[in-house]
Amino acid sequence: MSLCKKIEDINRADDPLVEIKSTDLMSLPNILDKSIQEPPLKRLTEEQKQQYEGSLDGFVAIGLPRPKSKQEEEEFIRKFLNGLEKLFIKENNWTFLQPLVHSLEYCVKCQLCSDSCPVYVASGRKEIYRPTFRPELLRRIINKYVKKQRAWVAKLTRSDIELNSTVIGRLAELAYRCTLCRRCTQVCPIGVDNALVSREIRKLFSQEMGIAPREIHELGTVQQLKVGSTTGITPPALEDIILFIEEEIKEKTGKEIKIPFNKKGADVLLLHNAGEFISWPENIEAFAILFDAANIRWTLSSELGGYDAVNYGVWYDDVQMARIAVKHAQVAKELQVKKINVGECGHAHKAFIVIADRVLTGDLNIPRESAFPFLENLVLSGKIRLDPNRNNFPVTLHDPCNIVRLMGIVEPQRRILRKICPQFMEMEPHGVDNYCCGGGSGFAIMGGRNFPDWRVHISGRMKLKQILEAFENVKKPEIKKYVCAPCSNCKGQMRDLISTYGLQEKYGIRYGGLVELIVNAMADIEKPFIEWEA
Amino acid sequence: MRILLAIATYFAYIFIIFMYSIKLKKYLRLPLHLRTEVYPVIPGDQTPKERSYYEDPDWWTRPQRHHLLQRVWFLFSDYFLLREYFRRDRSYWLFLYPWHIGFILIIIFHILCFFGALASLLGIPVAAGSPSIFGNAIYGLTLAAGVISFISGLFGSIGILIKRLTDKGLRNYATPQNYFTYILLLAVFLSGLYSWYFDPVFSVYRNFWKGLITFKPIDVEPATASHILLFAFLLIYLPFTRSLHYITRLFGFLLIRWDDKPNLRGSVLEKKVDEMLNLKISWNGPHVKPDLTWKEIASEAIVREKKQVSK
Repeated sequence: MSLCKKIEDINRADDPLVEIKSTDLMSLPNILDKSIQEPPLKRLTEEQKQQYEGSLDGFVAIGLPRPKSKQEEEEFIRKFLNGLEKLFIKENNWTFLQPLVHSLEYCVKCQLCSDSCPVYVASGRKEIYRPTFRPELLRRIINKYVKKQRAWVAKLTRSDIELNSTVIGRLAELAYRCTLCRRCTQVCPIGVDNALVSREIRKLFSQEMGIAPREIHELGTVQQLKVGSTTGITPPALEDIILFIEEEIKEKTGKEIKIPFNKKGADVLLLHNAGEFISWPENIEAFAILFDAANIRWTLSSELGGYDAVNYGVWYDDVQMARIAVKHAQVAKELQVKKINVGECGHAHKAFIVIADRVLTGDLNIPRESAFPFLENLVLSGKIRLDPNRNNFPVTLHDPCNIVRLMGIVEPQRRILRKICPQFMEMEPHGVDNYCCGGGSGFAIMGGRNFPDWRVHISGRMKLKQILEAFENVKKPEIKKYVCAPCSNCKGQMRDLISTYGLQEKYGIRYGGLVELIVNAMADIEKPFIEWEA
Repeated sequence: MRILLAIATYFAYIFIIFMYSIKLKKYLRLPLHLRTEVYPVIPGDQTPKERSYYEDPDWWTRPQRHHLLQRVWFLFSDYFLLREYFRRDRSYWLFLYPWHIGFILIIIFHILCFFGALASLLGIPVAAGSPSIFGNAIYGLTLAAGVISFISGLFGSIGILIKRLTDKGLRNYATPQNYFTYILLLAVFLSGLYSWYFDPVFSVYRNFWKGLITFKPIDVEPATASHILLFAFLLIYLPFTRSLHYITRLFGFLLIRWDDKPNLRGSVLEKKVDEMLNLKISWNGPHVKPDLTWKEIASEAIVREKKQVSK
C-alpha cells in the first residue's frame, strides 16, 4: 500500500511509507508464450528494521543507523542543515552550483519528465520515485529551514515539512533510488536537471556528514586511494593477474602476448575498470590481442591508482572525484604517454574525460579519449582481418548512459557492430534516448541488505523488458543471443538480471563487451573467442 | 484615478525591470561549473544529431565546432512551439500552448502600444488606412497581438487551471501560489478582453500610453482601467514567481545543458578552472580536510596515500 501520495506524506510515521509489491510492478513481455517468473522481493528482517533507516520503501541502500537519543537526533539534523547551506556556497560547491540553483529555482513541476524515468514507470508509478519528488522535497526543506520563510509564505509554498531524523533518513535513501541516468533532464524544456539534485543530496550527506553506501565510499573511493583499486587489487596482485591473463590468451588463441606495463613514452595509456581483471578478464585479453595485432604502442600501469579507471566520486562526492581524477592524470604524466584511452567503463568515461575536464589543468591536462572511436579506427582501417560470419548470431547493443546521453558517443560502437555482426539489431529506444541498465550510479556494486532486489526488480526492469523485446523474433533458447554491454557496471547489472530471471538457460541470452566481439571475428584466431557456457 | 493608473504603471515597469535585473545578475554571476551536458547538444543537427566531438579519434587535434546560432535559434523558436510538450503530453500542450502564447503576446501588445503612442507623438498616424506603412503595421499588429493574446490566454488559463486541479501528478505538486498565479493571469486576460469590447482598436490604450510618455496622464473608461491595474499588479507580482524561467531557460541550455566547451591546455577556460581550484572549502566530512583549497585537497591524497603505501 502506498501511503505517500504527496510530498507532505514524507512526515508520516508509517514503516514503510511505500510498500513495493511484485504485482504493482510494470509487466514484462511474454517470451516463448510463458510469463517471466517473478522471484519474490526480499524484505528487511525485524532486526534490520530496528537497526537501519529503511522506512521509505522497505529497502536499504545506505544502511543509515537510527539515532539512539534525542541529542543524537538533534546533532544529526544540525549537521544536515549545515551541509544544506554549504551546497549554496561558491567556495564549497562551485562545481555544480549553477545547475543546482537553476534546477531548484526554475522547475515548474509540469511533470513532463515523469514518464521518462525508468524507475518511476517500472515501479508502477510510485509517487516517491517520480523525478520531481526529491527536488520538491528538498526545495520545501530549503524554503523552511534555509530561506527561513515566514509561516504564511511557507503555507503558500506548501513548505511546512517537519524535519526529523526519519525525514532526513528517507531523503538520504531516496537519493539512492535514482540511477542518475538523466533521462528526465533530457526531456525538460526548461533545462532543469532533477537527477543532478539527487547527486547533490548524496554529496551533502557524504561531504558534510560522512554518510554514503559502504560499497561506494569505504570499499570504493577510499580503498582505491589507499590500495590502488576498488576491487582491493594491489599493484603486486595485479602483476599476478596479468600473468594469468597472458596464459589465458595463449591457451585461447595460441598467441604469445606480453602485456606492456609502465612503458614510458607509450602512445596510449589504457585504463580499464579493475572489475574486469576479476570478473571479466576476457575483456582485458581482447584489448591486448587487438592492440597487439594492430601494433599499437600502448601500456598499462601498475602504479597505485593507474590500473583502475573507476571514479565512484562522480556518483556522490566531488572531493573524492577530484582526488581520483588527479591521481589518474598523475600516473599518465609520470609515464609521459601521449594520450589516455578509457576502456569499456561508462562512468569512467564520463568522470575522466568530461567531468574532470574542469579539474585537470597544466601538465595534468593530458588528452583523454574513449576507446570506442579508437576501436572503430582499428576495425574500419582494415589493419585487422575480420570475418563477420564468426559473429553470425543475434546481437543487440545496450548503450551505457554515461557514454551516449552524457557524452554523445553514439555511432562508433554501432559502425563496429554493423561491420562485424551480421545479425545486429537495435533495442528500442537506443542511442541518447536509451534506458539505464538499472545498475547506474553505483547500484550495480551495492550489495548490502536487500538493495540488490530493488535494483534487479525495479531499476533494471525497463532494461530487461527492452532486451526481451529486442529478441522477440529469435526467442528459441537454441538460438544463442548476445547483449553487448560495453561497460563494467552495466555488465554487472546484466549478470544479475540474466541470472535472476534465468535468461541464459531458458532463452539463450548472454552478455559481454564490445571488444570481445571484435576479437571473436578475427580471422587469424582459430577457435571462437566468445564462450557460450553459463 | 488617472494618477493612480499612471503611478501604478510607472512603478510596475520600473519594479519588474529592477527585480529581474537583480535576479539575472545573480544568476549570471554564479561560478563556472563542472561540465554536466546532456546530449544531443546540437539541436536540429541531422548528421546524426546525437554525435559529439568525442566520436572523433584524437578529438583535441581537430578544430572546435561552434553552434551558438543554431542553438539560439532552436531556443527562440521553441517559445512558439513548445516541442517537448507537444511530443510528450499533447493534452497538457493543448492548454499550455495558448497560455504561453497569450503571455508572450500580451507583452508584445504592451510594447506595441508604447511604440504606437510614440509614433503618434512623432506625427505618424497609427490607424487603419494610415498613409504610413509603419503606422499601419503598428495598428494592425497591436490589434492582432491584443486580441489573440486575450482570447488565447483566457482559454489557456482556464484549461491549465482545470488540468492542474484534475491531474493527480500536477495537483500534488501545485501550491496555493501556483493557483493564485493562474487566477491572476486569467483575470488579466479577461480584463483585456473586456477592455477590447469598449476600445475595439485599442486607441484609448494608445492614448493612455501617450499620456504616460508625455507625463500627462489621461482618464480611461473603467474596463481599460481595470486591465491597466491588473496588468501592473501582474508585473509587480511576477518577480516573486518562477516566471524568470522564460529567460533563464536560455542560459540553462546555453551555459549548462549544452555546455560542451573543452578545457584545452593554455586556454582562457583553463585559467578560470585554476581560479576555482584555488577556492578554499569548508566541508566537514571525515574524509575532507577543511580549509584546504580544491587543488590542495585533490593532490593531497596522492602525497598522503603514497606515504602510507611506502611504509
